[in-house]
Formats: sequence, C-alpha cells, structure tokens
Amino acid sequence: MKKIKPAPLASIAIALFILVSSIYHLLFQPEEIALVPFWVAGLLGCVLLISASALSLNRGGEDRSRVIWTRGRVSALAADLAYLSAVALLVVYGRIGPDLKFEFLGLSAVFTFGLVLPLLLVVGSFLAIKDSINLLYGYTARGREVLVFSMVRLSAVFTIILLGGIISVILYRGIGAISWEFLTSPHLRLGQQGGIATCIEGTFWLVMGAMLISAPLGIGAAIYLNEYSKNSGLKRIVTIAVGCLNGVPSVVYGLFGLAFLVSTVGISLLAGSIILGLMNLPTIILTSQEALKSVPNSLREGSVALGASRWQTVKKVVIPSALPGVLTGLIIGVARAAGETAPIMWTAVTFSATPVHMFYGFVPDVTQPVNNLCYHLLNLIYFLGAWDVEQNAWGTALVLLALVLSINMVAILVRNHYRKKISW
Amino acid sequence: MNVRKDDDMGPPDKRAVRRSRRYGDDFVEAFLFFAAITSILVIVLIFYFLTYESFLAFREVGFFEILLGQKWHPPGDVFGMMPIIVGSVLITLIALFINILVGIPLAIYLSELAGPWSREFLKPAIELLAGVPSIVYGFLGVLVLVVYLEKSFNMLTGRSILAGAILLGIMFIPALTTICEDALRAVPKEFKEGSLALGATHWQTVRWVTLPGASSGIIAAVILNVGRIIGETMAALLVVGNVARMPSPLFDAFDRGAIFTSVIAGEMGEVAHGSIHYHSLFAVGFVLLVIVTVLNISADFVRAAIQKKFGGY
Repeated sequence: MKKIKPAPLASIAIALFILVSSIYHLLFQPEEIALVPFWVAGLLGCVLLISASALSLNRGGEDRSRVIWTRGRVSALAADLAYLSAVALLVVYGRIGPDLKFEFLGLSAVFTFGLVLPLLLVVGSFLAIKDSINLLYGYTARGREVLVFSMVRLSAVFTIILLGGIISVILYRGIGAISWEFLTSPHLRLGQQGGIATCIEGTFWLVMGAMLISAPLGIGAAIYLNEYSKNSGLKRIVTIAVGCLNGVPSVVYGLFGLAFLVSTVGISLLAGSIILGLMNLPTIILTSQEALKSVPNSLREGSVALGASRWQTVKKVVIPSALPGVLTGLIIGVARAAGETAPIMWTAVTFSATPVHMFYGFVPDVTQPVNNLCYHLLNLIYFLGAWDVEQNAWGTALVLLALVLSINMVAILVRNHYRKKISW
Repeated sequence: MNVRKDDDMGPPDKRAVRRSRRYGDDFVEAFLFFAAITSILVIVLIFYFLTYESFLAFREVGFFEILLGQKWHPPGDVFGMMPIIVGSVLITLIALFINILVGIPLAIYLSELAGPWSREFLKPAIELLAGVPSIVYGFLGVLVLVVYLEKSFNMLTGRSILAGAILLGIMFIPALTTICEDALRAVPKEFKEGSLALGATHWQTVRWVTLPGASSGIIAAVILNVGRIIGETMAALLVVGNVARMPSPLFDAFDRGAIFTSVIAGEMGEVAHGSIHYHSLFAVGFVLLVIVTVLNISADFVRAAIQKKFGGY
C-alpha cells in the first residue's frame, strides 16, 4: 500500500485554487482584486510545501530513491521555486502593485496590474502543479503520465466550454429579439426595426439553387470516379483537382464569381447559386466517394452476375447502399451553403427588404439579387456603432446559428442511425 | 422487346435489349464523365480568371513592386503587398500556435483516452463546432473578443492582429483534430500493445510510438490548416482592423493589420469596376490562391515523403 503524501497533495490543492481564481480574473477583469493577499500566501505556502516534500523524498531510506536527484531535476525544481517566491516577493514589496503599467518592446499595448499578475500566477500555478505531481509520484514515468494526461483532458473540457459558450451567449442575448414578427416581416430602417423575413427567404433559395447544381454534379463525379473510370490517369487528375478546389478560399470563389458570372448574368440569385454550388462540389464529391467506397464489391459482382448493366448496378444496388453516406454529405453541403458569406458578397446579395419576386407563385426570379442571413448579419455588424441594431444583430445571429447547427445535427443523426443499422 | 414464353430457354433477342440499354447507358456515362471533369474545369477557370484579371495590375504596377512593395495605399494608387504578407504571417503563426496547443491534445484524448460515453458526446460537439458559420465567429469576435482585448490591454481599438489570430486559431481546432485523430487511429494496435508489453506507460507509448507513427498525417494536417487559416475571410475581416500598414516593430501583434482575405473582402465592395485598384485586389487574390494551392499540394507530398523516409501511417 502506497503511503499518502499530504504535502504535495496540499500544494496541488492550493495551486489549483490559484489557477482557477487567476483564470477567472484574467477572463473577467474585475475592477477590484480582493484575492491578492490569499494569492501571495498561497504561493509562499506552495513553495514551503514543495520544498518540504522534496527534502523528505530522500528520507525513504531505500537506496534507489537516491538516484532520483539528477542535476536537471534539481535545477528545474530550484528554478520553479525561485519563480514562485520571486512573484510573491515582488507583490509583497509592491513592485507589482495596483498602479503597475508598462509598455514593452514598442508593442502597442499597455500591460496593467489586472492582466500581469493573473498571467504570472497562471504560469506559477502550472509550475507548482507540475512539481507537486512529480514529487507525489517520486519522479516516475507514472507521474509524468498523470501530468500530461490531465492537460490532454483539459483540452477536451476547453472544447466543450467553447461550444457551450458560443451557443449559450448567442442564445442568451438573441432570444429576446426572436418573435413571430421578427421571423416573418422584412427589415425596416436599416435593420433597426422589423425582422429578417427576406433574409430567410433569400437564404432558402440560394441554398436550393446551390444544391440543385452541386448535388447532381458532385454525386455524378463520385460515381464516375468510383464505378466507371478505368483510366487511372484521369482519376488521379480529378482527385488532385478536387483536393485543390477543396482548399480554395471562399473569398477566391467570390472573386471568381465576380469576374466570371457577374459580367454575364449580373448580381443575381443565379450567380450566387452557381458559385455556392461550385464551392460545395468538392465536399459532396469527397463524402459521396467515401460512401461509394464502403459498398462491398460482392454486391456489385452479384448484380453484374445477374446480367445487369453497369448503370443498372449503380442505380439499383450501389446507390441505395451508399445513400446514407451520400445524404450526410448533401446535408453538410446545405449547412455550408447556408453559412457562407464571402462567395456571395459581390455576386448575389443586396441589403434589400423586398421579397423575392416569384413567377407563378413558386418559381423565383433568378436574375434578381436577394437578401441573405449572413449578409444581413454582416451589414448589421457594420452598422453596430452608428445605429441601434445590436438586438436585431443578436437575433439574426441566433437564427443563423440555429439553422446551420440544426442542419448539421440532422446530418450527424442520419449518419449515426444508419451506421448502427447497416453492417455488411 | 419480344414477350418471352415460359418454355423459351434460348437467349433473348439480343440486339433489341442491348441497343435500348446501351443508348441509356451511354447518355448516363456521358453525363457522369462531364460531372467528373467539372472539377478540373472549375479549377482551371478559377486560375484563368484570377490570372486574367490580375494581369493588368502586375503589368501596370510591376510584378516585384506589387509583391514586395512596402506600402498599400489605394487612394494614392500605391499597391505593395508586403504589409499584407507580414500581417498574414503573424496571424498564421499565432493562430497555428493556439490551434496546435488545443487541437492535437484533443485528438490524443479522442483516440487514446476517451471512453465510449465521452466520445459519443465529444465527437458530435466537435463536428458542430466545425459547422458554426464564420460570420458568427466574426460577430462574437467583434462583440466579445475585441471588447475584452481593448479593456485588458488598454488598446486604442481591440481590433488587432492578435484578435484575428485568437479567433482563427479557435475556429480551426475541429479541422485539425479530425484529421489528427484519423492519423492517430491508423497506427496499428500491435505497435501500441508491443510498447505496453515492454513496460512502457500509456503516455510513453503515445509519445514514442503513436505520435511518431502518425507524424506524417499530423504534419499534413497542420499544413492544410495553415491554408485554411490564411484563406478564412469573414471572421478575419471583422476583427483584424483592416489597416494595411507595416506593423512597427514587425512582431507587433497588438496593432491593427490586414491579411489577404480581409483586404479583398473589405475593399472590393466599394471599388470601381476595372480600375487599377480592382485589378490589384485580384492580384492579392491570385497570390492567396497560389499560396493555398501550393500548401494543399505540398501537404500530400510531405506526407508521402515522411512515410517513405521514416515509415508510418
């Protein structure tokens, strides 16, 4: 049974307290820092506890415990302790006091007490935790493992907090703006009043147009590459082209649309749909190809053995089997098309409050520009300082985020549902 | 087609069946072929139009003047890309630091430590995070991050290279994590088990077996992420301040700055069609496209080269 060592455990607890409180101060920057005496006491306590446990580590009496103190370990420990006591002493003697203010290397920022002290403390408490854990485990590999894996777990916590933070901030600030009128009326007076009906409408048609272009082309390309192509040279070139397209920045798509389409079809729904569709193409090709690849060859061979032609095999056997994967790709494409701004900024949208003109009540006029949620939000952000649009901006952001995230959610659910069901 | 009787065991009327099938099939195959070469067509068209539109700027201003010029001042028709390049490099370096600091540990957590329950929860969370539209990040950047930086660093305006870097670094964590996790998972189980059997701890196994085995994939993922960071538009446009001048000193991340995408997106809206400024913005886009494409292609080559030299997955 391993003996419990109280000293390192206590210093870990103190350091954790310092870490959490200083991160809180770093993030929220309260005017008054009431915790300074506690921090100093905590730092000094850590120094005492760590040095005490370091000294007692040698008293084990066993021979092998003496080898622990290599020169590197001693000097690292000494440096950490020196850092901790230096921070504490600087605060005690007032060198790091509330009126601290300095500039550094000509950077255009001023570092003040409220920022510097928590920053020093975060570093210090990390060092204290590191040394305490090392001492707790007697500088074994096990101690290092605990240390590293707790950092790794921290990154997972960070990610969850990040997603939760984004969603909750937007939900909290935006929910007040949402009402039936906000969703169903066009905006008035540069977005200060009214709602976002035209934006929702425009987003819908842009996404529909984009999918109408990218779905047949993307799925077709994937089928050709996976089922038809005998020419591996062509396949290679197409794969490289898809890889390049996948990396092309969205703003370059916007430039391309500006040069290629706006001169011929003007700033219009059509131009925006084509650009968004082309932008979605690589995503859909790649996901469809993944899905087609996962269909086992035995199914194809069975179908061909029954006398079906290649297209019959693809139509009746391969596509139905690959449908969940293809569908997931399409849904992700919808979400991406709904959330992109840069490609359509100069090609498809205006900040207009007039609804899309319809032929026969259901065919949109594709030669006219439309409004769009992302573009509306962008304009509201530009107006932020000048007009009172903040409430509506939060509302628009909430609608956009809810739309995109729920579409993504559907994609995830579809995939998980079929992944459990299908087993080859 | 002939109606076949039950006792007719001979081959069907071959010609009729084949022909009807063949015409349909040919048509479909032609469409599929067209769909497949669309991507080649599009990438060629993109390169063609960007070269074509930026050619005038390169000719009027001069190729090296526009690439290496120290000043970007559209009202005076001075177009030099150096401030933009410096801003982009600064932003990319800081953003990549944040990105790697969180993204790779997260990938290690997902592939090595996460139990089924936390994995079930964390994977969709990461995918959702990847789906948040960039304009929403930009919006939060303006109202939360910029305000925070302004207050805590006593800056004139919080819109700065640092704000852009933090935002972009956070934005692309999911992209890095997803690829790195795949790379880590591709390392065969036998290697890890061998290492554990030799008495190594779990972390030693990850550090000396799994990470080196996956290094080619991880490095490729980082290179791809550099391309994504440089190419991200809306979030960067809203928080970097969009002032294209050389920061002084060069590493001053607290100053306002500009990157390729923010210059294009910020200035293209109000520029006269066909002016030299218009063509210069296309030149900026062309340089961006070349950089990103080179990064994308080199990611594959780097992966192959590392695999060839050191092995790995």
